[in-house]
Amino acid sequence: MAQLRRDYQQFVKLDTEIIVAGPEKAEAFRDYWAKESLPFIGLPDPEHHVLKLYGQEVKLFKLGRLPAQMLIDKSGNVRFVHYGHSMSDIPPNQEIIDLIVMNM
Amino acid sequence: MSRVELNTQAPNFTLNDFNGKSVSLADFAGQKNVVVVFNRGFF
Repeated sequence: MAQLRRDYQQFVKLDTEIIVAGPEKAEAFRDYWAKESLPFIGLPDPEHHVLKLYGQEVKLFKLGRLPAQMLIDKSGNVRFVHYGHSMSDIPPNQEIIDLIVMNM
Repeated sequence: MSRVELNTQAPNFTLNDFNGKSVSLADFAGQKNVVVVFNRGFF
């Protein structure tokens, strides 16, 4: 999240919005966004509508959900998909930024 | 569990953000790229 906050303006300059979805409730999102001063959209999804739709994997025995990132272009097409294999398996923002620049 | 495939149309979704404002992927069509991040929890 800190990584996304740091690079947020770069995404904005590239006509790109960031949406973070998670199963926590709205209050948990609100508190966390305030605490961390996060500039992007936070979508509480306690009923897992979007999480299921996008296939975020839940590893019950590892006590958590694995991270996933997608880039969707202005035409609504998926241009980048990354499903993490571990909790720390998150691609660098630069990889996504480079892809946006290439597709512009 | 189904997964999103590269170079296919992303499934649309509509949810309220934590302030109660409706956010739909379709709102960004033709205007912005969207990075969707599924986080691993707030900690």
